[in-house]
Amino acid sequence: MAVDRADGRTPNQRRPVACTRGILHRAHGSASWAQGDTKVIAAVYGPKAGTRKNENPEKACIEVIWKPKTGQSGKPEREYEMVLKKTLQSICLLNVHPNTTTSIVIQVVNDDGALLPCAINAACAALVDAGIPLKHLAVAICCCMAEGGHILLDPSKIEEQKVKAFVYLVFPNSMVSVLPQGSLRLGGELMEHGIITSVTHGMMAVDDYFSCLKLGRAAAAELSDLLRSSLKLKAGNDPSKAG
Amino acid sequence: MEQRLANSLIMTVNEKKFIETALLSDLRVDGRRPFDYRKLSISFGREDGSSEVQLGNTRVMGFVTGQLVQPYRDRPNEGTLAIYTEFSPMADPSFEAGRPGESAIELGRIVDRGLRYDSLFTCLNFCSSTTESRAVDTESLCVISGKSLNLYGNRNLVDASNVAALAALSTFRRPECTLGENGQEVIVHPPEAREPLPLIIHHLPVAVTFAFIGKENVVVIDPTHHEEAVMGGSMTATLNTNGDVCAIQKAGGEGVLQSVIMQCLRIASVKAGDITSKIKSAVMLKRYDLKLIFRVKYSEFEKQVESYNTERSLRKIKRHNPSPAGYKH
Repeated sequence: MAVDRADGRTPNQRRPVACTRGILHRAHGSASWAQGDTKVIAAVYGPKAGTRKNENPEKACIEVIWKPKTGQSGKPEREYEMVLKKTLQSICLLNVHPNTTTSIVIQVVNDDGALLPCAINAACAALVDAGIPLKHLAVAICCCMAEGGHILLDPSKIEEQKVKAFVYLVFPNSMVSVLPQGSLRLGGELMEHGIITSVTHGMMAVDDYFSCLKLGRAAAAELSDLLRSSLKLKAGNDPSKAG
Repeated sequence: MEQRLANSLIMTVNEKKFIETALLSDLRVDGRRPFDYRKLSISFGREDGSSEVQLGNTRVMGFVTGQLVQPYRDRPNEGTLAIYTEFSPMADPSFEAGRPGESAIELGRIVDRGLRYDSLFTCLNFCSSTTESRAVDTESLCVISGKSLNLYGNRNLVDASNVAALAALSTFRRPECTLGENGQEVIVHPPEAREPLPLIIHHLPVAVTFAFIGKENVVVIDPTHHEEAVMGGSMTATLNTNGDVCAIQKAGGEGVLQSVIMQCLRIASVKAGDITSKIKSAVMLKRYDLKLIFRVKYSEFEKQVESYNTERSLRKIKRHNPSPAGYKH
């Protein structure tokens, strides 16, 4: 079932990823994440004193600001902000700094498909760069259902517009544990097999959704190894950021 | 922590004194001389019309978009240029998302004034070559270029955003349009069908900012955040390489001697020449796609340009088939 993709990738191949941390001078943490031509810059400021109104003062508050490439922020940006906020809230340790606000600003530099996963990955790397305490990292990937029932990984914008349905998936990263009992298990299942976030567009059959999940999980495991090695590299070179 | 939250940097008296005293011996806090610019680097995004400029630690991104609209009734031959600036909360946690503050608006106005009133470029009217009268036909359409700048960083935003605007406009290409058969409708050709056209730019107005620090009329160029907090007044001069002064902005602040202003303008014209040549060489490199694909040493420049030109024209021919390689123009 060889499918021809416009840029020559196989259906299971994601675009090359470029991640750089510490690009902004004044932000507490910053990262840029590029998947193919989609590029997003994330900056983290925090923790700052005080929470927004109606937020629980016993926990830290996460605030997300999404800046589109051109034009004013509208409804799609609000949706992205909400998804990002909920995703990041689930990975941050909120009890460490109660009654504080951490702001994450996302700037879209270029949108060539899979924008939200790119932003989630960038935000995660920026949080690591800022030293915000996290339970684990979030690794995001996009899968889509093309005509003819093939599943494509990491679609570009043209592919995203042509397909019937696509889904953004966020998984926890794979664990490397120093404990003798191995990785964390919850109810007998490995923690890294859980899903943090799933956002779908369009209609797909239930079986197709499960195959997307499987494909996405495999890709996320590979991506989390890449993330781990790139984050380790940077921390080694920069003693002021480590520890 | 509070320093980072406040919009204007709160400086201690010691810091202020240090900066002023150092300037008396022609030394600046970051090691530059009074009339040295910070390192300027210009890079472009994937699309035509997107640029990112880094001036020291200040980063500005510029995007150009174009839209087909009806022209104003009193100027049917011209399009319009609109500049939108946005200070991202990424730059400084005290910037609010949403409405631009007054400093953002002032910045936008300075850049706008430099670009607009010198017939910087002619925006286009589409008239069929047969009838001249179509030029004044109110139903004909004109192209506007909108620009938006996103800013983050370490101050002297005016100069950096001006360069970003110029770089983005130099690389922007608008789709080609022709009039339909009946002469009433305009067909916009997609970039695959016809090569998009670049904007016609007559000259590049470059903004140079000066800060006046202390009582002895000490002048520095390209102030950093700390110098801006200490300065008594500032002036931005927009000039081009032809020796024209496009705009000057000196809004309040300390009074300055006329001789000092003349000296500043003379220095500014030299700096404008440097910056213009940097912009032009960056745009040229982008046109040959060298930075994206190859890391070229200067000695191999000629050879690569030659082979790249031929490869680019080959790619243009092949554009109708999806090319297997991942490179796009």
